[in-house]
Amino acid sequence: MEDTDTFIPQERPAPAEKAAVETLLAETTQHEGYFQLVWRRFRKSKPAIVGGLLVIGLAIMAILADFFSPYALDEAILENSFIPPTQVHLVDAQGKLHLRPFVYALGFTVDMKTFVATWTEDTTKIYPVSFFVKGSAYKILGVIPSDRHLFGVAQGGAIHLLGTDKLGRDLFGKSCEAGRISLTMALFGTLISVAIGSVLGVTSGYYGGRTDTVIQRFVEFVNCFPQLPLWMSLAAVVPRNWDSFRIFIIMAFIFAILSWTTLEREVRGKVLSFRETDFILAAKEMGASDSRIIFLHLYPNTLSHVLVILTLTVPTIILAEAFLSFLGIGIQEPLVSWGLLMRNAQNVQTLGQYPWIMSPVLFIIMAVLGFNFLGDGLRDAADPYAIM
Amino acid sequence: MLSYIARRLVISVFLLLGVWAVSWIVIQLPPGDFATTYETYLMNQGSMTQQQAEDAGNRLRKQYGFDQPQVVQYINWMKGIITQGKFGPSFAYGRDVGELIGERLGYTLVLALAAHLISTLVGIFVGIYVAQHKYSFWDNLASVFAFVFASLPRFWIALVIAYTLVFVFNQHHITSFFSPEYALAPWSFAKLGNFIQHVWPIVMIAGLGGVARNMRVMRGNLLDVLGAQYVTTARSKGLAENKVISRHAVPNALHPIVAYQGTVLPYMFQGEMEAAIVLGIPTLGPLFYDSLVTQDIYIAGSLLFIYAAMIVLGNLIADISLGFLDPRIRYN
Repeated sequence: MEDTDTFIPQERPAPAEKAAVETLLAETTQHEGYFQLVWRRFRKSKPAIVGGLLVIGLAIMAILADFFSPYALDEAILENSFIPPTQVHLVDAQGKLHLRPFVYALGFTVDMKTFVATWTEDTTKIYPVSFFVKGSAYKILGVIPSDRHLFGVAQGGAIHLLGTDKLGRDLFGKSCEAGRISLTMALFGTLISVAIGSVLGVTSGYYGGRTDTVIQRFVEFVNCFPQLPLWMSLAAVVPRNWDSFRIFIIMAFIFAILSWTTLEREVRGKVLSFRETDFILAAKEMGASDSRIIFLHLYPNTLSHVLVILTLTVPTIILAEAFLSFLGIGIQEPLVSWGLLMRNAQNVQTLGQYPWIMSPVLFIIMAVLGFNFLGDGLRDAADPYAIM
Repeated sequence: MLSYIARRLVISVFLLLGVWAVSWIVIQLPPGDFATTYETYLMNQGSMTQQQAEDAGNRLRKQYGFDQPQVVQYINWMKGIITQGKFGPSFAYGRDVGELIGERLGYTLVLALAAHLISTLVGIFVGIYVAQHKYSFWDNLASVFAFVFASLPRFWIALVIAYTLVFVFNQHHITSFFSPEYALAPWSFAKLGNFIQHVWPIVMIAGLGGVARNMRVMRGNLLDVLGAQYVTTARSKGLAENKVISRHAVPNALHPIVAYQGTVLPYMFQGEMEAAIVLGIPTLGPLFYDSLVTQDIYIAGSLLFIYAAMIVLGNLIADISLGFLDPRIRYN
């Protein structure tokens, strides 16, 4: 029996009631709710679980970016520009195995012809990596003061898992922080598109007739626009001198205005198929108002599909935002997003010398894969009565 | 059938008119007009006084009719496009936007359509194969590939390819269509080969997502069809399995792919655009991006219109060909 969280009384008062309790138990296991069924099917799909964990992991890293980053997030030391990703070793130059991972000290040589600094490992000096170290002070969620960082090395050593960028910022820490903007932007944009899609979809499906025709023509019209070019041209006309928060909000709306059509069609289809069912007719016969029918009976039935499309819309917005910010017409400094961190890679020369400046892409790939897996798993699970 | 085509045509015309209006709105969105940009340019670069610059700006306004009301300007813009193929002035290039687009449109179309064709064919054939070997090693591998490639940022794939070509294989002419020795030569097979050498990354990047989608759609459809009773009948008649697949199953599984061509086309254009911007290959993509950065807004608006028009056209062709292909579609 899988159900372990069912409450079974320890002391059984009378044998006569035992049978009653057992029938009750038998009944509760038989009648699983819709979301229990969805969950049961969802957790059977390994990719979906992996996707969910990826998304949760990235979200935690974004929220607690100060903790995951070994350095203060606003720290930018120009002398540290373009340090390659630090290699974490277990075996030192003498072939001795260390139980605690360590990094070598950083030295650099300057090419006297080009004045390009090259960072090298100084194998004579060893800095062990320690966990939960004391470092720069910050506030968890902006409230609780703390100075602990997940990992770090002692003073004098440096650990940059993904290297540093032109301004000497630690790319790993910055990528964690960038998740805040990239993920909230995608989520916010998706929520707006869900709102538009749901309202139009329900209206279109429930009222039908001329309203339906007009809305469907409008959807067709919106679908004619190629997403990327329209996003780009709208993003480019946003005045650059606005403050970055306003640009953030506007960008989310820009992404939303072309993303709602799939959802609208799905919701409309669902509402159409439910509109003629007995339970809706019964509600109508009992004199329920339109809003009661829509909000209590119709819309909740489309929620699982809304959730699926929501999950699958997020990655498209993440990718688009990354591209636009990469081109410099998206998010503006001082906000950071994954795409914006990769901006310097636009220059092939810089890219050739410091290929690790592309590393924030790892976070983009993890996020997009995570949401895609999650959405795919949810799609299979959303209809738990279907035979697989 | 004819009335069906006619009706689709009428709808398309209305869609185009709407698209036109939105493109115009995009052109009008930035503060000031084309002449204002010109004035700032004259003051900054040509060291003119404000008065001189304003006079020059006003002359320009007269010449292009920017001093007229919005509606008149809009109608003039449309008239120019229809009657003379003039899309408005380009500030950075000092020429008509129509000419600029004309130079690049051909290449863009060739690349996008090549990506489209290749991704459709590859997607269909891989889809047919994996549907016959459900849950086999190759099926799982194909699904994983489809998933991963749909999740990689296309601009990053372009960066990786650019990096590899330049720094591993020492290919330095990646930002043009041809190597210098072929640039002015007449078309030949060698030149075509050189062309392909330069543009394959774009075709590949634009096509990758399409392969994944087509494969998944084809696999799903074919699996549905293979479960139908008439396929069992065909098999029990003693037909060879590949005949069952090619004659009976595949033709009926193809319809959704055709219906879906109109929606795939924008993906090809977007993929082509993203890759071309990063690699700097002079198709419509970089022209569009540069015009956005320099606020050369007539180019941006006109290109937006061209892209949307191509999608409308693609949908129209897909609808009509589906009408020919699938006799079950009703035309009323």
